[in-house]
Amino acid sequence: MDLFRLVWRNLSRHWLRSFLTVASLVVALFLLLTLRTFLTGLESATAAARSDRLWVQSAVSLFVQLPLNYPEKIEAVEGVEQACKWQWFGGYYQDPNKFFAQFAVEPKKLLEMYPEVNIIEGSADDFLTGRQSAIIGRALADKFDWKVGERVPLTGALFPHPDGIDTPWEFDIVGIYVPTKSTLDSNTMFFHWDLFQETREQAGMDVNVGAIVVKTEGGANQTAVMRTIDEMFENGPQRVQTTTEAEFNAQFVSMFGNVPFFVNTIGMGVLFAILLACVNTMLMAAREQVHDVGILKSLGFGNGSIFTVMLTQSLLLCGLGGGLGILLALATESAFGDLTATFLPIYNIVPDTVMLGVGITLAVGLIAGLYPAWRSSRLEPVNALKAGA
Amino acid sequence: MTIETQTMISCRGVTKQYSRGGETLTVLDGLDLEMSAGRFYALMGPSGSGKTTLLNMVGGLDRPDSGELLVAGEPLNELSGAELADWRGNHVGFVFQGFNLIPVLSAFENVRLPLLLAPLSRGERKERAEYALEVVGLKDRMGHRPGQLSGGQEQRVAIARAIVTDPDVLLCDEPTGDLDRESADAVLDMLVQLGKDFKKTILMVTHDPAAAERAESIVLMDKGKLGSIEDR
Repeated sequence: MDLFRLVWRNLSRHWLRSFLTVASLVVALFLLLTLRTFLTGLESATAAARSDRLWVQSAVSLFVQLPLNYPEKIEAVEGVEQACKWQWFGGYYQDPNKFFAQFAVEPKKLLEMYPEVNIIEGSADDFLTGRQSAIIGRALADKFDWKVGERVPLTGALFPHPDGIDTPWEFDIVGIYVPTKSTLDSNTMFFHWDLFQETREQAGMDVNVGAIVVKTEGGANQTAVMRTIDEMFENGPQRVQTTTEAEFNAQFVSMFGNVPFFVNTIGMGVLFAILLACVNTMLMAAREQVHDVGILKSLGFGNGSIFTVMLTQSLLLCGLGGGLGILLALATESAFGDLTATFLPIYNIVPDTVMLGVGITLAVGLIAGLYPAWRSSRLEPVNALKAGA
Repeated sequence: MTIETQTMISCRGVTKQYSRGGETLTVLDGLDLEMSAGRFYALMGPSGSGKTTLLNMVGGLDRPDSGELLVAGEPLNELSGAELADWRGNHVGFVFQGFNLIPVLSAFENVRLPLLLAPLSRGERKERAEYALEVVGLKDRMGHRPGQLSGGQEQRVAIARAIVTDPDVLLCDEPTGDLDRESADAVLDMLVQLGKDFKKTILMVTHDPAAAERAESIVLMDKGKLGSIEDR
C-alpha cells in the first residue's frame, strides 16, 4: 500500500504535467471510442442484414427510378416470395433543416418482410388500413415530440404535392416502432405506397419505383434468383442490379468514401501521438526519481520492486486517463446517438469497443512504462544516490 | 541471523578501482580491516582516502574488485544483486549526510518503508515505525513531510528509518555534515545511545574531529589503506 501511495504521490509531484498527460489520454480514448463506434454503427446494418432479403435497384444508380411494373414481374421469378416497392420521399417538416428519412412502402409487405419492425405504440392494423397512416421510429417521435394520433405535414422537396409546393403532404401517425435489429434505424417514417401513387396519378404525374426489396422463399438459391432478375431486365427499359441486403447496406458505407481506412488512420495517428506523449512523461518522471530509486535500493528494494513501482506509475497514469476517456465516451453516447441519428443506423458503444479501449489503455501504459522502469531498475545504487544529491 | 563471531566487519585485501577520464584510480588498495560487533567506529581520513567507498561496500551498495569482504558473517562479494538487496534490507541501516528521505512521503511513511520488505502485518509495521520515531523523539511529527521538518529532525527521521528493521550494522555517512552544532550533538547523542541500548555496530564516516570523539574507536584511512585504529 505504501508503494502504491509512493506511486500516487510521485504522480502528484508535477501535478500539471500529470494532469496534461491524463487530459490528453482522456481526449484520445474518447476520440478512439467515438470513431470506432461511428464505424461499427455504419457497419452494423451490413452485419445484421438478412440473407433472405434482396435489393433491386437501377444498374445505373440508386437515384434512377424503375418502372412501376417491375415488382409484379419480379414476384413471378422462381424462388421469390414477395417484392415490396420502396420510394425515397425526401420531404421535410416545417423547414429544410428538419429533414429525416421517409419512404413510401407497401405496409403489409413491409411488416411481413421486416419482422424487426416492433410497433410499441399504436397498432399495425391502423397502419395497414388507413390510407394516410404512417409509422415512425422512436427516435423520430422523440425528436419532434410526435404522438400517435397526430397529423404531420411534410413538404415534398423531391415530390411536391400536386396542389403546389406550398401544400404539404399530410400523414397520420398511427404507430411508433423500435427496430429490434440495426437493419433499420428509428429515425425513419414509413407511409402508404397507395397514397403516394394515387396522389401523383390523379395529378397526371409519372409514378416510378425507387427500389424493390425482394424476399426469397426458404431454401431458394439466392445467386440464381439475383441472376434471373438481372437477366430479366437486361434489355430494358431499365437495367437492374440485384444485391443482397448486406451488399446494399455496404454501399451506403462506401458512399462516405473508404470510411474504415479513414477512421482507422486517424485512430492510429491519435494513438501514436498519445503514446509518444506518455513515453516522454514517463522518461521525465523516471529521470527525476533516480535519487529516490537510490534510496529505495539502499533500503533493500530489489530491481523487481523498482521496476514494479515505475511501471505501476505508468499504468496508473494511463489507466486514469484512459478510464476517464472511456467513461466520457459512454456518458456522451446518448447525445452522440441523437447527433448522428440522421445518417447512422445506430450509435451504440458495444462491449467490444469498450474492451478495445481498455486494451489500448493498458498497452499504452505498458509501452510507456517498460523502458523507464527497466532503466530505473538497472541503476547502480551508488550512482543513483549521487544523482540529485 | 546469529552472529557466531565477535567480528562484524572483516575486510581482507579489499581493492576497488574506478576509471575516470581514461585514468584508473585505486580507491581501496588491498585494505585489511576488522571491526567488532556492537562498537561505534568513526572512520576518518582525507578526501579520497576511500572512507565512503568502504562504507558503501560494507552496506552492500558497491562491490570490491578483489579481496574478501564479510559483514555479519556474509561474504558480500559472493552474493547476487538480488541477494545483496535482500541482505541490505535485513542487516544494514543507512544514515546519509543529505538525509535521503523520500520527499513525497510523511516521516511515518518514510520510516515504515523498509518494513514493507519484512514479513510483518500492517499493525506490526505501524507499531514498529511509531516506536522508532519515539526513540528519536519525533512521534509527534510523524505526519509531517521532510520539507516540513528542520535538518536535525530530518536526520532523526533518517535514523529512525535506519533502525526500524533492527539491523546489525548502522552505516552513517557524514550524518552531521549538514547540521548546526546543536543538532549535530543531538544526532551524535542519539547514535551513542543506540549503540549502548541496542548494541548496534555503528560505522560513521566523518571529517569532524568532535563527532569522531564520540565514537569508541577511530579508524584512520589514508590512500585506500588502513592508517591506524585508535580505541578510546
